[in-house]
Order: sequence, then C-alpha cells, then structure tokens
Amino acid sequence: MCPNGKKLLKVEGLVKKFGGFRALNGVSIDVCQGRIVGLAGPNGSGKTTLINVISGVYRPDGGSIEFDGCSIYKLPSHKIVHLGVNRTFQVPKPLSGLTVWENVLLAAVYGSAEGDKQQTIRDSLEIVDLSAIKDAISAGLTFAQQKLLGLATALATKPKLLLVDEIAAGLSHQELLWIAEMLQRIQQTGIAMIVVEHHLGFIDTLTSDVVVMNAGANLFRGSINEAAQNEEVVEVFLGR
Amino acid sequence: MLKKYFPSLGVILAIVAIFIGLPHFYDNQSFLFNLMLYLALAEGLNIIYGFTGYLPFGYVGFFGAGAYGGAIAITLLHISPLLGVLVGGVVAVLTGVILIPLLRLSGAYFAIANLAASQALYLVVANPSLEKITQGPYGIDLSSVYNANAGYFAMLGVLVFAMALVAYLRNSNFGLSLLAIKEDRVTASLAGVNVIRARSIAWMLSAFVAGMSGAVFGWYTAVFYPSTVFSLDVSVFTIVFVLFGGIASVAGPLIGALILYSMYNFIGISTPQYFQLFYGLLIVLLVLFLPDGVVSLLKKGKVYVP
Repeated sequence: MCPNGKKLLKVEGLVKKFGGFRALNGVSIDVCQGRIVGLAGPNGSGKTTLINVISGVYRPDGGSIEFDGCSIYKLPSHKIVHLGVNRTFQVPKPLSGLTVWENVLLAAVYGSAEGDKQQTIRDSLEIVDLSAIKDAISAGLTFAQQKLLGLATALATKPKLLLVDEIAAGLSHQELLWIAEMLQRIQQTGIAMIVVEHHLGFIDTLTSDVVVMNAGANLFRGSINEAAQNEEVVEVFLGR
Repeated sequence: MLKKYFPSLGVILAIVAIFIGLPHFYDNQSFLFNLMLYLALAEGLNIIYGFTGYLPFGYVGFFGAGAYGGAIAITLLHISPLLGVLVGGVVAVLTGVILIPLLRLSGAYFAIANLAASQALYLVVANPSLEKITQGPYGIDLSSVYNANAGYFAMLGVLVFAMALVAYLRNSNFGLSLLAIKEDRVTASLAGVNVIRARSIAWMLSAFVAGMSGAVFGWYTAVFYPSTVFSLDVSVFTIVFVLFGGIASVAGPLIGALILYSMYNFIGISTPQYFQLFYGLLIVLLVLFLPDGVVSLLKKGKVYVP
C-alpha cells in the first residue's frame, strides 16, 4: 500500500466516548513513512479528538493504535512522544511563564534521547523562524508566533510523525502560504504528518491524500478534487 | 555549567555565615533556631508549591510525622538523635508516598484534601490507644538526649540541605520540567516529561525537608505534644512566608521568612494586640500590589534573583 513500503501509523476502529456520546465511532486511518495525510470534516466530526487520542492526551475506549510496529494504545503522552509522535494544538498552549528558548529546551532535553541538544533547539527555532525572539517570554508572543513555538517544541522532540491540528485557523493568507511551505520543508526532512484542516485549499497544496471524517467515523479517502465530487462529502459539508 | 550556581551558592553561604555568627552577638538562641526552622520549611514548601503549583495546606502533616518518627526512633530504638533526624525525614517521605494519590486533585481540592490528611494523621498520633508508641495526647519527652547546641547546628544543616535542593531546582532541567508542569501539564507531557514521576519526586523531596525539620524541632524542644507539631499555624506561617517572599527562587522564601518571622517575634510578643492587625494589613497590601511576592520587585528591575 505504501509507495516506500513502510506503514508508520495504523489506527483501526478507534472509539472514544464522552459519557454516552461517541466522539470517535470506529475511525480508521493510516500514514505511510514520510507522507502527509490531510484530515478534513465538518465541525464536531472528531478530527481533534482523534489527534488527542493518538497523542495520548485522551484515553481511548476501543480499537487499536499501532505506531512503528508497536501498540501505543492507552500509553501516556510522554511515552508516545519518546516513540516519535508529537502534535501541535489548534489553540496554542505554550509554557507562558518561560522563554521561547526554555520551551524548546524542555522538549529537546526530555523529548528525545539522541543528539546535541543545543543544536536541536537552534534547528527547531530556525525552521519556524523564531530564532530572533528566542529570549522573549512566550506569554508575550502573538497568536501566530505561539503556534509556531508549538511547532518548534514538537520538532525538538524529533518526531517521525507530526499531528498538526488546524495550524492555519486564524492566520492571514500570507501567513498561510508561508506555513504551507514550511510544512513541506519539514516533510522533506522525513517527518510524516496528519494535517487537520478546515481550509481545503491549504490541504490541497500539501497532499493529494485526504481523509474526510463525519460523526466520528471515516467517510471518504482520496484527493480534494475527488472529495468535492463525492455526494456524501458535499452533503456533510453543505447539507442536502 | 557550574557557574550558574554561583549566585545561589552566595545566598546559601550568606545564610550559613549569619547563623554561625549571630549567636556570638545575640543570645536568644531559641529565636534563631525557630527562624532557621521556618526558613527551612519555607524552602521545603517552595519545592512543591513554588515549582509545581500544588499548595499543600496540610504541610504540617509532614512536620509532625517527622517529629514523631524521629522521636519514636530515638526513644524506642535508642538511635542517636542525628540519625533520628534522618529517620524523621524518611517517615515524612513514607507519609508522602501514601498521600501521592492526592496529587491527582488540583487547586483548592488538593489543598483541602491535604489539610484533611494532616489532621487525620494528627488524630491517629494523638489517639490514646497508641500510647505505647506515640504516648498519645500526653506528649513526647526527649530530655534524656537534649542538646541545644547540637540541635541548633542540625537545624542549620537541614536548612542548608533545603536551600541546596532549591538551588538545584532553580538551575536545572529537572526544575524547569517542574515549572512546566505548573504551567500546563499536557504541554509538559508532550515535551516528553513524565509528569506523574516528576511531581511525585518534588512531593517527596518537599516532605523530606519538612520531616527532618520536624525531627530536629522535636529534639531541640525536648518535650512536645501532638497539638504542637501538628498545629495548623505551622502550615499557615510557612505558606504566608513563601507567598510574601516569592516562589520558585532560593532567595524569595528566605526573604519572606526572615522579615515576617522576625516581625512576628518583635511585634507579636511586645504588642500582641497590634500584631494581627499589622499582619493582616500586610497580607492585604501584598495580595493587592505584590501578588508575586517581594522578589517580584527585583525581577521588575531586571535584577537576577538567585
């Protein structure tokens, strides 16, 4: 199935309940090594919940999650991070009392065993273009800068798979183009991604492999253009 | 790398010099002892509250557990008082281990549950049925091993240990990971920090300091009752000192305890009718104008606080 032969993430029949509500109702998704999968769907379809469950922020209630050959189902976040999965948040959650450098330092020291930490921090800040404000307290950053800091922190843990949750939401068109280009550069370093996005044009510039979710389950997989012609997809986005 | 420890080391040396030198000029040893006791407790509380954000209202529970743990080991097992101090620390850590599940609570819920736990411990220790071990409510008598000077220097030792621990946290990646837990647990764990392990270690270190302080207090005081070493005043004083000075630094809690405990002794004893008014006003002003403590004034002036 994978062009380079290796499947990095395999999620099958994943279930997450909040009380009686099944936010994830048997969703499946897989990601090949080094590839980007777009994840789209209407509000409340479970995209962010899926990211939260894969990254260990929420505990799943059924199904399976396999990463790089081992099960990460119900593992705590820090162990999942150590295996090579990290994520960004739709609403950034920096450690606001700490500086930009300290935020990334923590991730470099605790997130990954290998490599020169100072170099990792410098590289991570370089790729998101925050090197110039490395000594700023992160509470004072703009919304866009905090999102980039979240990305730098995730990169400093040296992930093989990055879960990017609505990084384009709330950003200007200019910033969007720039971020799309940056994600492509990150992919070129060999990092696979799931990119959650409302903005379908944004996904289209990144990948032709899109999963559309609805009501906690899979609805469609294919390119954006195919999705736009699929009756079911059109229906969940626009109504009948 | 070690250079960043120099400012903290300077503070520690200054405190040691003060408490070795002062007895030559000022003969109220008991006041100096109690001052050191509160300095050590303030640093101990700083470890768990200042770095991880858990406010233990029942901090006195560790103090009492240490006082009784040390005293029982000295009277029943006939070990030396210095060893008893260590045993007191270990008993407090064991108490802390039992209370680790409390860390799953947060904010006021944690504070209240911890307060309740410390009072439960008090009632167990003071229970007359345990008279053979704890002497129940009748108190402990350690006058056979009483040695004021040795107790004084043991307290100084515990204080240095507490300050050194905080200096380590202030300057190390482990301390940074604790600060991260205080800011946002999810972000910390996604940076790869094992949140449960890190906060449990901070909790036990904090308990260890309070336990040793309690054991030295018991030894120095020689005769004490459960109501003395489980008195909520100990928690309240310590918390106020830390809040007044400022958290997550070596110097903050020291400044808070030095100023407020000295004031308590001079105003509180000469004119006790004005003391509570004065303390109350001070705390109101503090909450209104300096919520991050006295050292936040220095930080605003871009002065590095060790």
